[in-house]
Amino acid sequence: METPTRTGRLGRFFTGFGSLFHGLAVTSRHFGRTIFLRKNVTQQYPHEKPTLPKAYRSAIRLIRFPETDSHDCVGCKACERICPSACIAVDGGKVEGIKKKRASHFEMDFALCSLCGLCLDVCPTTTLEYSRLYDEAGYNRNWKHDLLAEFRAREPAFIAEQRQREQAEAEAKAQKAPKKEKPPKEGDAP
Amino acid sequence: MSDEPRGASSDPEADPTHPEAYVLNMGPQHPSMHGVLRLKLHMIGEEIVVAEPVIGYAHRAHEKMAENRNYLMFLPNSSRIDYLSGMIYNIGYCQAVEKLLEIEVPERAQYIRVIACELNRIASHLLWIGTYVLDIGGVTPFLYCWDDREQILDLLDAITGSRLTYSYGRFGGVTMDVDDAFLTGTRTFLERMKSRLPEYDTLVRKNVIFIERSRGVGIMDRQTCRAYGVTGPCLRAAGVAYDVRKSEPYGIYDRFDFAVPTESAGDCLARYDVRIREIEESLKIVTQAVRDLPAGPIMPDKPKKKFKPAEGASYFAVEAARGAFGMYLVSDGSEVPFKLKLRTPSFSNLSSMPKVLAGTMVADTIAIVGSLDIVLPEIDR
Ligand code: SF4
Ligand code: SF4
Repeated sequence: METPTRTGRLGRFFTGFGSLFHGLAVTSRHFGRTIFLRKNVTQQYPHEKPTLPKAYRSAIRLIRFPETDSHDCVGCKACERICPSACIAVDGGKVEGIKKKRASHFEMDFALCSLCGLCLDVCPTTTLEYSRLYDEAGYNRNWKHDLLAEFRAREPAFIAEQRQREQAEAEAKAQKAPKKEKPPKEGDAP
Repeated sequence: MSDEPRGASSDPEADPTHPEAYVLNMGPQHPSMHGVLRLKLHMIGEEIVVAEPVIGYAHRAHEKMAENRNYLMFLPNSSRIDYLSGMIYNIGYCQAVEKLLEIEVPERAQYIRVIACELNRIASHLLWIGTYVLDIGGVTPFLYCWDDREQILDLLDAITGSRLTYSYGRFGGVTMDVDDAFLTGTRTFLERMKSRLPEYDTLVRKNVIFIERSRGVGIMDRQTCRAYGVTGPCLRAAGVAYDVRKSEPYGIYDRFDFAVPTESAGDCLARYDVRIREIEESLKIVTQAVRDLPAGPIMPDKPKKKFKPAEGASYFAVEAARGAFGMYLVSDGSEVPFKLKLRTPSFSNLSSMPKVLAGTMVADTIAIVGSLDIVLPEIDR
């Protein structure tokens, strides 16, 4: 940079000084606003729990449908195949006494899940959703969760109920059949 | 070969036997280096003779990963290429695949995509302003920029459920519809941002220290930009009005009224000015998109389940926050891409550094490299 003349230097001094004060004016305005007008935005976690947005994404879980009081996973493995992180391990198949297939094993590694939501999209029975967990921590590399755990206890009852539902459905179908009408579809997920 | 960096052997000035010649390593853990970039500076005294960017510290093999999984499964990767404007990359990838597969996107989804992408662009530029001014000595603007950026992240969080790695787009639409709360929030943000820009002007642009440190520093002229394929704000600061959104409009960008801001100086100050004006233009686009947002579905009526393009290739480019982001998709007719070439803007922008940095002072290095707004994971991919 060329050496400025004396007046030039003086001018630069004043503009420089001026710009400092302009900047200071902005900061003081904000300072005032922050002190007097602004609400506290800091959340006092863990005393205060965060409100999660509707779209909040956390590790997946199985939806408990109110109609059946259970999940609707048929163990088709579509989610296992699409998962880019390969963190789902599902198994399932035919269950004695009912037509519907059921998952027998659903293991999910929370540490690997990248929360992309592809499994939610491909599930044919839409029985997957994001959970609302936000303060989970794993203590080792194998952070496996059995997603069926909460459904296990109710599974025999579910199967019994499902058998009744299927029987009722079959009867309804038998009645309707001569009239050639479509059978009503049973409690699909919304 | 005047465009080549001055090599140690060809240039007498880089003579290692010079009494003041030495090599300075900047990064990859330098506090003011952006990400994990290492600059190997061959210097004589304070002057840089040869600058060598060393990259690859954040290499995650995104291109190779794409060859090992089907088209859908690459979606979560797409926003992780550049985590600061992940939405644009995510939506860009969706659009590239949609082009290959000729999938129609519903109107509403198109508008939502534009709103989300432009908000993301503003957030990315705000982050740059904050960190850049911080790099060259101003701490306060950083806090204000972060405050504004936080508003955008909250908005995007509300519709995507994520703050950085959105994974929001799907082939044919988006995952979640926007609600009234989001639109009201966006309008509030637009108003707020309009009142904030004059403050940045007083605080940063009129500040003498900032001007002195960035005017005439790191000049990248048109010729250099052309030679190295520099795009984005750096190219526009050199006076070339090239913006993929205008030059090769994709999506529905041709429906919006916005300008492509350019400057002629090509120095750090010009790059700052271009980015600030781009924020203004993005605000304009978001305003129009929110105003015109039609009702309707956000995904096609019968979304495809299998994505199996015919044999062939397609190139698709979007304007990311840092320049033109291009994807060259080669399909061999299977469900897995044969090759996905990612042309990331920061890589080309950084490649001009040996030329630009040669002959400058070491004190300006951070100012120059910072002004490019590089994101290292995006360079390494
Ligand atoms: S959200 Fe993505 S990464 Fe997580 S389990 Fe589902 S498919 Fe896998
Ligand atoms: S895609 Fe749905 S039904 Fe099939 S295994 Fe996964 S969770 Fe169960």
